[in-house]
Amino acid sequence: MEFSYEVKDSYAEVKADGRLNMVSAPKLREFVTDVIAGGSNRIVVNLENTAFMDSSGLGALIGCLKAARQAGGDLRIAAVQPQVKMVLQLTSMDKVLTAYASAAEAFSND
Amino acid sequence: MTEVLASRSYRGLAAEDAIESVHNDLDSLWLDVPFVGDMDQMTFTTAVIESASNIVQHAEPAGQDPVELGVDIEVRPTVLQARVSAYHAKPPFGPMEPGAPGEDAESGRGLALIEALVTTVTFERQDGTNTWVLSRTSSRD
Repeated sequence: MEFSYEVKDSYAEVKADGRLNMVSAPKLREFVTDVIAGGSNRIVVNLENTAFMDSSGLGALIGCLKAARQAGGDLRIAAVQPQVKMVLQLTSMDKVLTAYASAAEAFSND
Repeated sequence: MTEVLASRSYRGLAAEDAIESVHNDLDSLWLDVPFVGDMDQMTFTTAVIESASNIVQHAEPAGQDPVELGVDIEVRPTVLQARVSAYHAKPPFGPMEPGAPGEDAESGRGLALIEALVTTVTFERQDGTNTWVLSRTSSRD
């Protein structure tokens, strides 16, 4: 899995490309923690190229959400693909991790 | 028993790189059986990876031999089946029941997710090997 980020006007966009599994989940958590430590507490995780997520990956997203909120911000997810959407729905975490169609829309109404 | 249309087998040390190997095996398996629908492929892949990850993360060696992960997958006309095994492992610690973690919990959802993804899931222990047997009735038209 490859991570990258870009600071936009009102949020930081994190891209996580590949499989978000037990191998990459701790790396996502570390990556987002560093982005938050760098001064961005409004995070959008763009999942456009995340073809797969398991419960470890979901746990990492929840950890990142908590870290963003503890820093006074929030974390939202965007461009969710079918397998990730399925895992979110089956675990009822789609109510906690709000999915937006695109990264640009995630904080557009705040 | 109906005929096996395609299969894959993996065995190796229960370590992180095994998960990527099993996932690659699954991706190549689906190329052999394009009639298996996207939903069946997606749900079954997720269940197998969840089970294999559970072994890599939690299985403890029973003796001096390290725990090995085994994954044997068979596609039959109407059933997808995987035997996901932990060799040289202690019996699982704790209840084999799905947890009900709070919404801010960062772990504990794996077993419930596996049960939601497949038609049946059973657990066997024989000769020092723990095996999860996952079956999903395929919705082939």
